[in-house]
Amino acid sequence: MSHRWGMAVDLDRCTGCEACVTACRAENNVPTVGPEQAARGRAINWIRVERYYEGEFPDVRVKFRPVLCQQCDAAPCEPVCPTYASHHTEEGLNAQVYNRCIGTRYCANACPYNVRFFDFANPVWDKPLHLQLNPDVSVREVGVMEKCTFCVQRINEGKTRAKAEGREVRDGEIKPACAQACPTTAIVFGDLNDPESEVSRLSHSPRGSKLLEDLGTKPKITYLR
Amino acid sequence: MDRRQFIKATALTGTSATLASCGNPEYHLIRFIPEEALTPGIAVLKPSVCPLCSAGCGLSVRVIEGEAEVIRKNQLGVTKMGLAKKLEGDPAHPVNQGRLCARGQAAIQVTYHPDRLGHPLKRTGARFTGQFQELTWDEALSELISKLDSLAMANDQKSLAFLTRPQRGLRSDLVAEFASRFGAPEPIAFEFFSDDVLRRANALSFGKEQLPTFDFAESRYVIAFGADFLGTWNSPVSQSIGYGQMRQGRPGVRGKFIQVESRMSQTGANADEWVPMKPGLDGVLALGLAHVIMKAGLRRPEAAGGAGTLIEGWAGGLAGYSPEEVEKQTGVAASRSERLAKEFADQRPAVALIGGAPLAQTNGLFSALAVNALNALVGSIETPGGIFFTPQGRVAQTRSIDKVADSNIQLLLIDGANPVFATPPAWKVRETLMKIPFIVSFGNFLDETSTLADLVLPDHSFLESWVDSRPESGAKTAVASVAGPVMRPLHDTRAMPDVLLEVGRKLKKPLSPALPWQTFEEMIRSSEKSPAVIDRRYSGAARTVNFIAPQFDGDAGEYPFHFLPYPSAAPQRICPGCRNYRIRSRARCGAAGWRSIRRRPQDCRLVREILWRSHRARVLCGFPRLCRRGLRPM
Ligand code: SF4
Ligand code: SF4
Repeated sequence: MSHRWGMAVDLDRCTGCEACVTACRAENNVPTVGPEQAARGRAINWIRVERYYEGEFPDVRVKFRPVLCQQCDAAPCEPVCPTYASHHTEEGLNAQVYNRCIGTRYCANACPYNVRFFDFANPVWDKPLHLQLNPDVSVREVGVMEKCTFCVQRINEGKTRAKAEGREVRDGEIKPACAQACPTTAIVFGDLNDPESEVSRLSHSPRGSKLLEDLGTKPKITYLR
Repeated sequence: MDRRQFIKATALTGTSATLASCGNPEYHLIRFIPEEALTPGIAVLKPSVCPLCSAGCGLSVRVIEGEAEVIRKNQLGVTKMGLAKKLEGDPAHPVNQGRLCARGQAAIQVTYHPDRLGHPLKRTGARFTGQFQELTWDEALSELISKLDSLAMANDQKSLAFLTRPQRGLRSDLVAEFASRFGAPEPIAFEFFSDDVLRRANALSFGKEQLPTFDFAESRYVIAFGADFLGTWNSPVSQSIGYGQMRQGRPGVRGKFIQVESRMSQTGANADEWVPMKPGLDGVLALGLAHVIMKAGLRRPEAAGGAGTLIEGWAGGLAGYSPEEVEKQTGVAASRSERLAKEFADQRPAVALIGGAPLAQTNGLFSALAVNALNALVGSIETPGGIFFTPQGRVAQTRSIDKVADSNIQLLLIDGANPVFATPPAWKVRETLMKIPFIVSFGNFLDETSTLADLVLPDHSFLESWVDSRPESGAKTAVASVAGPVMRPLHDTRAMPDVLLEVGRKLKKPLSPALPWQTFEEMIRSSEKSPAVIDRRYSGAARTVNFIAPQFDGDAGEYPFHFLPYPSAAPQRICPGCRNYRIRSRARCGAAGWRSIRRRPQDCRLVREILWRSHRARVLCGFPRLCRRGLRPM
């Protein structure tokens, strides 16, 4: 049976600690662009934690919402790409082929979630910071779009390991860096095709909703209130 | 396929899937590399211990071979070695159960930080100017040894002092042993928000002189007084795990959480109800809740046992703490505190906790004892959903930093503490340190405190050395973690414990009979397999306490943060680059302190960018120049 990777984010558990954000940067060689570039809106964050304030002081509540690529089933970023750099894999991942990308940035314009980022410059890591770069993830050079991959390298590793041991991938065995780090288990990742998986169960929760659901993008991430 | 080819391969595909699945191949995107040809590298996972706070979370470090430029025998060369690539929580560790906080995730950059010191340094210019000159380890060690010897010659061993971070483990045992064998007083442990007050309160109330562990996973109702338990306080990862369980881990049950504080913290932002109150009066509110509970007959005063008898007027039901009186003092409406009290007594199990700023008030002990009594009243001590105390082994004795000022220190050894940065100017730590004739730092970086040092003997990073920790809290069972080096050193550094042992051996009057080990590894291996758990019952003289009003000095200008509801709501006072919330002017930042502020290991790039992002609005209108310097583009 083929997989269909999905995620559930329990907003009631999320404390806004940003461990997921830090873990993602460390795992995926996400470059830091510096203040000038970031001030021009060019900072790259595959996952971010959005804050929403409710109420007036002193009766304030803050809501945190980790936002990453929603890996939409009807992804608006895919049909607009002239080179098919942004495409759908058989496992439902919304993949980006970096060396096919010619940097038109149509996809970023089409994406309603603001989760696709353009590399305006070649990334720089002061020595010896470059030693930390994860060899399982390619370093993106200037002129391409990049975004959350659902940690495809970890998915591949999990599948390879399961195959080598001659078994199916177990639920919860594969975790993207953000889900792995999250102290409160707010992020749950798994196979939506497996009705028994934790993520399938949570995706059908009555507390669940999708981000900007009415746009019809069919995101694979469910947020639980 | 070797790793380099493999990197190229993944770069080409981004992801891969089989072509053969269905339909006409011409309708499919062409994959550059068939899946069979893709072999992900298998990483080695090595255990370690997170050094960044005293929670002592267990790490599982992903190590992959790579080529690094390293210094060996004073020669720079490229060598193939295992390199740490990513830190993850150790799933089997009882404290963090596979998780890490943001700081722990970023800890890897302590090792790879471009500003890390690679050689021993000797000061050449005036203190705080950052003028240093490299020297060899032999020269550096003989300098330290001669200083120690001359202290011993003058029979002045007492004027040696050790300044460390509060840690529990063999490393701190070694430091304490070194100091006591040499004849020096016990080491000074420095942390800005010291939890000593809470330890003392727990000793008085429950006979346990230590920080508590919370069983949030089972709680239904939590009231926190100022404790930033989801942020950095105590054992944040273990507490966050429990918090997630409390909220959504039990079908049909959702624990409620109230935060009482004067500044909305990260933790307060998550509360169902955030209760702002006047600073320093947490104890009054806690006793107000206890008053309502006892008055309504929900619990009898005797239920609190010894913790209650410590509070003046407890047996009489705390007549002076009626909701109206509490409202007058704390600003929390009477109807609200009454409702909170009833909920707290009704919802079982319920727990109250106190930490952080309230304990730093002049009346911190009173507040802590009041919260302890409230907990005891509803029976949440050592019961599911309540407070537990992690069984403890031996703990090295330390003293607090205010002892620095009034002792005559001739030689100060600093391990990892940076009080010059962390304390308010009114404490005059820098001035005190300036008076000490000789300072040796084992720091990895030239931070504010290290720039005062006369000799810097850079330590290995935690990934390059033996590490251990015996956390004080965070698990219901006793925990001791020990781990070997994850990778070989990148620089010409030496592990501080090894240096201490070597110095001890080479003194005119060697300490080696007491410290017989050649290396720290030897010491770790020869230590007890499982350290004995000691029941450290505390029996202090019990004296009742009464309310004492908090005292304040300074003004809003000196501590802008006390008056802000949320950090990001702060005016231009935050430097997004260095996270130094106490910056008051551009001048302070541009002055000598600036460079070293940037060099703080905690301000690694990962964390910096995140912080930076959340303060973007202020970068545009605030201090662009300052920020640019704070955040070097990478
Ligand atoms: S790590 Fe988990 S709790 Fe922290 S911000 Fe991310 S999703 Fe929320
Ligand atoms: S709580 Fe965070 S900083 Fe402290 S030991 Fe654990 S991971 Fe490290």
